[in-house]
Order: sequence, then structure tokens, then C-alpha cells
Amino acid sequence: MSIQNLIMNLQKFWAAQGCYLAQSYDLEVGAGTMTPDTFFRVLDKRPWKVAYVQPSRRPTDGRFGLNPHRVQKHFQYQVIMKPSPSNIQNLYLKSLTSLGISLHDHDLRFDEDNWESPTIGAWGVGWQVLLDGLEITQFTYFQQAGGIDTFPVPVEITYGLERLEMFLEGKDNLYDLNWSEDVTYRDLRFVEESEFSEYNFNQADVKLLKKSFDMNIREGQKMIDRDLLLPAYDICLKCSHLFNLLDSRGAISVTERVKTISQIRILVNQIAEKYTSREETA
Amino acid sequence: MEFFLEINTEEMPSSHIKSGLSQLEDKLKEDLRSSSISFSRINSYGTCRRLVVVGNFAPEQKDRVEDIIGPPKIAAFDEDGIPKAAAVGFAKKHGLSVEKLVVLKTERGEYVGARKITKGVPTKDILKESLPKIIASLSFPKMMRWGENPLRFSRPIQNVLCIFGEKPLSFRVGEVASSDFTTGHKIFSPKKIRPKNFSEYRKALAEHHVVVEQVKRKHMILKQAEKKLLSLGAQIYPDEELLDKLSFDVESPHVILGQFPEEYLKLPLEVLSTAMKEGQNLFSVVKGKKQLPYFIGVADVPKDSKTLIQTGNQRVLKARLEDAKFFWNQDLKIKLRKRAEELDRVIYQEKLGSYEDKTQRLKKIAVYLAHKLEAGGEKKSVAEAAELCKADLLTEMVREFPTLQGQVGGLYAREEGYLANVWKAIYEHYQPLSMDDAVPSSFSGAILSIGDKLDSIVGAIGIGMGVSGSKDPFGLRRNAQGICKIILEKKIDLAFSRLVDKVLAVYSEVFEKDKEDIKKRCLEFFKGRLQHIFENQGFRYDLVNAAISPGIDNIYYTYLRLKALDSLKESAHFEPMILIAKRVNNILRNQSQIYKINSELFFEKEERELYTTFTIIRDNTLDMIAEGDFTKAQRMIFRIRSPINTFFDHVLVMADDKRLKRNRLALLQAISKLLNKIADYSQIVVSD
Repeated sequence: MSIQNLIMNLQKFWAAQGCYLAQSYDLEVGAGTMTPDTFFRVLDKRPWKVAYVQPSRRPTDGRFGLNPHRVQKHFQYQVIMKPSPSNIQNLYLKSLTSLGISLHDHDLRFDEDNWESPTIGAWGVGWQVLLDGLEITQFTYFQQAGGIDTFPVPVEITYGLERLEMFLEGKDNLYDLNWSEDVTYRDLRFVEESEFSEYNFNQADVKLLKKSFDMNIREGQKMIDRDLLLPAYDICLKCSHLFNLLDSRGAISVTERVKTISQIRILVNQIAEKYTSREETA
Repeated sequence: MEFFLEINTEEMPSSHIKSGLSQLEDKLKEDLRSSSISFSRINSYGTCRRLVVVGNFAPEQKDRVEDIIGPPKIAAFDEDGIPKAAAVGFAKKHGLSVEKLVVLKTERGEYVGARKITKGVPTKDILKESLPKIIASLSFPKMMRWGENPLRFSRPIQNVLCIFGEKPLSFRVGEVASSDFTTGHKIFSPKKIRPKNFSEYRKALAEHHVVVEQVKRKHMILKQAEKKLLSLGAQIYPDEELLDKLSFDVESPHVILGQFPEEYLKLPLEVLSTAMKEGQNLFSVVKGKKQLPYFIGVADVPKDSKTLIQTGNQRVLKARLEDAKFFWNQDLKIKLRKRAEELDRVIYQEKLGSYEDKTQRLKKIAVYLAHKLEAGGEKKSVAEAAELCKADLLTEMVREFPTLQGQVGGLYAREEGYLANVWKAIYEHYQPLSMDDAVPSSFSGAILSIGDKLDSIVGAIGIGMGVSGSKDPFGLRRNAQGICKIILEKKIDLAFSRLVDKVLAVYSEVFEKDKEDIKKRCLEFFKGRLQHIFENQGFRYDLVNAAISPGIDNIYYTYLRLKALDSLKESAHFEPMILIAKRVNNILRNQSQIYKINSELFFEKEERELYTTFTIIRDNTLDMIAEGDFTKAQRMIFRIRSPINTFFDHVLVMADDKRLKRNRLALLQAISKLLNKIADYSQIVVSD
């Protein structure tokens, strides 16, 4: 039992459902939802099936490697299917069975939890999936992205890999998980967690972050004006991460928070707008 | 014939289920009535995956009988009953033989007529048309779309089963075609079941691990929990909201009892139970008032034979409690007083400033209230509580469990050794959160709560972000009702409009102009909320209006006015009094000017008498009103009726002599003014 086994099983399962297996995106993102393989592809009218692992960074969740279940970077397994198949819940249950979970011995629940990401103007309706009380998946029918109604409606399944593996290995501390047969999560991640926590909370240069944020916002707008939508979106992702770092440095007040998020969203909405009208005329 | 319908969906939130069921019932009944299909009672059942309605409907519509009136009987038949030309012609026109004509009795005498009977359409044909519309018209607090379905619903519809008279009814809802089957429990028995009627349906589902009646599931949860806790001599800590949610969330309720390490009992009950409830939906376990290191969970399974569900939940809970303990200990390292200093960087509302600004306003309002309510002894503690009450917004605990705001601040204040009326005021200052929630138990808490809520209401209305239609972004309705609830339950005798003045004065820099206008809008808003509260308490709407209309300068007194009207509404004096008051009002309606009484100008006996009686009654009632004894005041007022009657019978108000006329009007105006202190009688509906 190991995280890499878990990943391989999920890859195999979702590939068999017709998903294209994407590689992780190469920028810091807060969630798998934010990568172009999800964001752009849910906006257009064409069918789309994709699955991928996405390392996700949330600087404020850092705990210097000392908390057994919170980390500033974790791994998500993201699945998008558009239009949402009518048997999607069953497919999901089958994916759990394929991991060796005997659903007849456990309590699996779809508990109301609607998802929202103001930064990318997106929201959806769905559940957190609880397995014996442990949240292992976020299950969402996307209703809007970039401020635009998504139709056909995509469904997003986001597995929390560490959570799921803790369940499979029956462990209480994520650092004790096996990544492979002889490499543990601690071996790979502990130093990273403690150093990045120090950087995120105490060291990152606030002035530099603010300046880069402002410069990137301007650059993003410039690229939108030149119809370079993919680069413009990458720049938005950079802004989002810079915002998260500023937040973990405690450098953002409540009003600034709303204002800053809306600065990014304004760009993202323009990108979504241009992208969909380009798709319609294509 | 028996009808039943099951809409099978992915998991719906419990609030959606309840609203969906009642809408289904109502819309179905409405449809049956408008199609003239008779039916006997309709029942509904629901789980998170099913909306079910059952009823007994007539197999077809009632026949429609229509009578067409023809010629008068005398013109249609002769004395021997032989049809004349008029009858023959009429019968022919309607395609009937003469023998089929009937005699119809009308107000104008007997006529010959044709009776046309249109056969009712079979109910199934009508239902096929109406059910898709009914289902598509259900509305939920948050609607969604899925796949390529044009429909919006609570959650995706998986299947629709519909049986009428033991036969499936076929129709389409969006992309879903109705069927003759349902499925058992999603995980434990996902098999197709084809029931012919509701009793088969219910029985088959039970065999396939689905209890379809919510009441039964709730009962099962309580019974099983009771049994599990028997040996501990303990009970679950009652939580209706959680019980309600769980009884809809599971189709096959199975209660589990779990444990957590005793060290976490050092955490306060509020923190423990919130950590258990939020995220994991677990009940706390108590013995008397003491919390035990156990929890009760409800799983959607037939059994937990390997106890994996129990141990899994224990593991998750332990991690959550470990977090909570960490937050508790971390938070206590920084004193509330110190935290409060940081409130200036937390924005309350862009135009209304930071939480530091709100704190300063609240302090002034609370001290004013303590002074006005002759709670001088509370002044110091109320001021201290006001300074500290928002500090917990900066704690880790509130960041993690936002619903604990206020309570957490109170608990930390207690840990820091503040007096009971300080920490309790902080703890209780968001109460009541709804009309069902308790009001603050402490007087200091009541003061702080009223102040905090009114500050929010005046602020939001002042910047034009009040309530409009279904939008209430600041929860102003809840806040206003909270204030009313506190005032009514604590019997707080308070000059409310002056309190609003005070709050506006405290806001002075923000609202320089428009103060009068804001105040007016505030009082109007409160009137509306009071009306809502009183009508919900079952008072007659016209009495409510009569009590509120004279003003809500003193909310508690408004309530006493209403109580008085309500208790006297059956009295023999009541309706005659109202009629006479209405008569007075009618005469005064077009008088824009207010006149002064000159007692020397009364020269008719009846007007002098009325004046004398009036002054006596006025002097007596004013004292009663000041003391809030409106029943007594009202009874006293009844005595003015007979002299007014006599006055109207013998004295002409609109006399030719202007001085006399004005003096008489002045007297009636004074009477009307007095009556208005008791109620606005013009609002009361009198049966003829």
C-alpha cells in the first residue's frame, strides 16, 4: 500500500472511463480546479474527460511539519467529465472499490457542501464525500466558471490523496504514509513543509510580493488586450499564489482581501468571456 | 385509485426535501382541484434520495353537467304535454330528441332546457400532462443543472417511478422518462424493485435497506441511541437540528457509539459539541449536566459488524479535537484585551468602519441603555463587555468554528477571570439567533445584544443596504426580530425611538444628513417585523395593526396594547366602541387644523357633559397608560361611548357659528387623540 499505488489505481480506473491522463500543471495553484485543463475546458461546449494529479499549495495551512494532518502543499487527484454522466456517482463508488475499499463495511455519505472559488468566479453544487466521517473527496457539479454559466454541465471529482491513503493505511499521521514501498511521505516532504512554512509565514518579502502582484495584474491585462488568453490566465494563477503568500504573511486586511480577489477575478472573467466567444465563432 | 410517485435523486439537503415534499403535495392538490378530480388525503415521505407522494384519486374527472335554457314551458308544450314548434326547434338545434328535454325551474318560472353531460377525462391522462410540469416547477433554495438536461432541480434526478391504479404512468421530466421501478439502498441493495402499489413499495424498500418514512427513521435513531447509552446511564445532548438532518440523510439508520480520550474533556462543552457536530454530524453524550468522553453517530448502513465505522469515526474525531485543543491553548496565550486592540484592522463594513469603530459605538449605546433601564450597577460591566465582545473574531477557534463566535469570547473571558455579568454578556450577545433560540439569560447580555443588533440595523439602513424583497444580506430581519424578542420576553420598558436617536447620534460622523429619514425607515422596518411576530403568535391581523399603528415608541407597550385589545375583543362594549370611534374619525378626517378647547363655549348640556366625562376619563387613563395597564385604560375608555352617542344625537358639530363648530371639533380631536393612545380603532374590522 502506498500513495503511488493509489495514484496508479486511479489513473487506470479513470483512463478506462475514457479520461485523458494529463500531467500536473507546472505553476503553483491552490487546487486542481485552477489549472487550464479544467478552467478552460469546462467553459466551451465540447465534451471533455480528463484526470490528473495536481500538487496544491495553500500557504496558510502550513504547520511547520508539526501537525499530523495539515500541510501547505498537498496532492489532489482531479477528474473532470463533461457533460456529467448520469451514472457518475456509481462510477465514483466503483473507483473506491477498485482501490480495495469494501463499501459494505463502511459508511459512505454524500454530505451537502457547495463549492465556490471567488478568485476564478466559479461555483458549483455538490457534496463532500465522507467515509466513516473522514472527508475523502469533493464532488461538484460546476454551474459557473469565470462568471459564465457552464453548459453542458461538467462534474468535478477531487480526491484528497493524503486523506484517502491515511484511510487505506489506517494511519493517524500523514508523515507516516508510504509514498512507495521504501520511501515515506516524511522522507519526501517534511523538510519542505518546515522550510516553506517558515518562508510563507515569516520570511517572504511583503514589499516584493505586493510589487510583483501589481506588476502581474498589469501584465495580465496587457495580455488579455492582445488576445493571449493562455498566458494571461497563467499570470492570474501567479497573482493568486502571490495573494495567498501575502495572506499567510498577515499582510492583507479584510477589505483589501475582497478588493485583491476581485482584481484577479476581473481578469479571469475577461479571459473566460473572450475564450467562449472565440470558441463560438471558431 | 391509488396514486404514488417517487422522484429518485442524488443526495438532497434535508431542507430541500422538506420544502420539496410540501410543494409537491400542494401543487398536486391544486392540480386535482382545478381538474375536478376528487381525491382523499395525500401523504408524502422523503429521504435524501427520494421524494414520495401517495394519495387516492378518482379514476376520472367528474362529468361536467351543463344546462342550456330554452323556451318557457308554457310556450314549449300545450296543456296535454304535446310539444309545440318552439320545443321541437330547440331540441333540433341541440341535436336532441324532444323526449330528452328537461324542465328547469328558474327565478322567472319554468323553462324547457337541454342538459348536456360531458364525460370526465380519465385521471391518468390528466396526470400525464400535469406531472412533468409540477415536477419541473418545484423550487429549492439553491438550484442546479446537470449533464445536458434543461431542467433545474435540487440535485440530479435519477429516476421517476409513477404508478396509478397499479399501472405505471408514462411521461418525461426533462431527459428522464418515468419508469415502473425504483432501486433499493444505493450501496447495500442497488437492485431494481417493481412495486404495483404503495404498500408493496414500502415493504420491498424495507427489505432492500430503505426505511421510507422519516418519522420512523427518527424514532429508530432515538431508540437505538437510547439502547446504546443505557449501560452508561447517559443521554445524547439534545440537538433537534442535527437529529432532523440525520433522519433525512440516512435511509438505513444505524447508530454507533464511539469514544474519545478523556483529556479532551478539559475543553468546554460548546467547543467539544461543535467539533463533533460540524463536519462529522456527531451527537455529544451527557450524563445529567456532565459531558462524557463518548459520541453517538448515525451511519447509513444495516450494521457495523466489523466496527470499522466506529473506529474510523473515532480516529477522525480525535484529530479534530486535537486541533481544537491546540486552538484553545494557543488562543489563551493572548489576552482578549490585547486582541481587542487589533480590531481596527478588521473591517466591519467599508462605509461603517472597522470592528474597532463598531466596538466604540456599541460601548456608548450599551452604557446609554444601562442608564435608561436603571441598571446603573451594570454600567461598568456592560462597558467592559462591549470593549471585549468582538475580540474573539481574531481567535483561531472562531476562525475554525465561526458559529462559536461570542461563546468563545465569553469562555476566554471566564478563563481570564472576568466577572459573571461581563463574560456572560460577551457569551450571549449574539443571542437569540432565531425566534426559537433563547434570549440572553443575563441582563448585561440582553443590553449588549440589543445594542449590537440595533447598531447593525441602523448602519445598514443608513448606507442603503437594508432589506429588499427576499434579499437580506446583513440578516437585518433576524436581528430586528431578535431585539423584539428580547424586549418582549424581558418586559423591557424602553423609549425605543429615542434609542434609535441615540444610535444615530453615535453614528454622527457617518450620517450627517438624512438622520430623520433613516430613523423613519428604521421604525417602519421594526413595525413590519413586530407585525410578523404578533401575527405568528396568533393575534388577529386587524388588532395587530390597531396596536402598532399608534407607534412603536415603546415596543413592550405596543405588545401590552395588543394584549388588551385581544382580551377585550369579546366584550359587549368592544364593537360599539369601535363604531363610535370610527364615527369620530370620519368627522375629523378632513380637518387639517387642530383646534383648542374653550370650555366656556360649550352651551348645550350634552356637550358640557361629554367634556366633563372626557376630562375625568383622560386624567384616569393617562396614569394607567403610563403604567402600561392598557386593559384597565381600555375599560375606562368604554365609558365615553354613551356621552358621545348622546352628543351626536343632540348636538350639531358643524354648526353655523364658526366658534361653536371649532370648539366642538376641538373636543372631538382631543377625544380622538386620547383614543389613539390605546389603539388605532379605524384598523379594526367589525362584522356587520
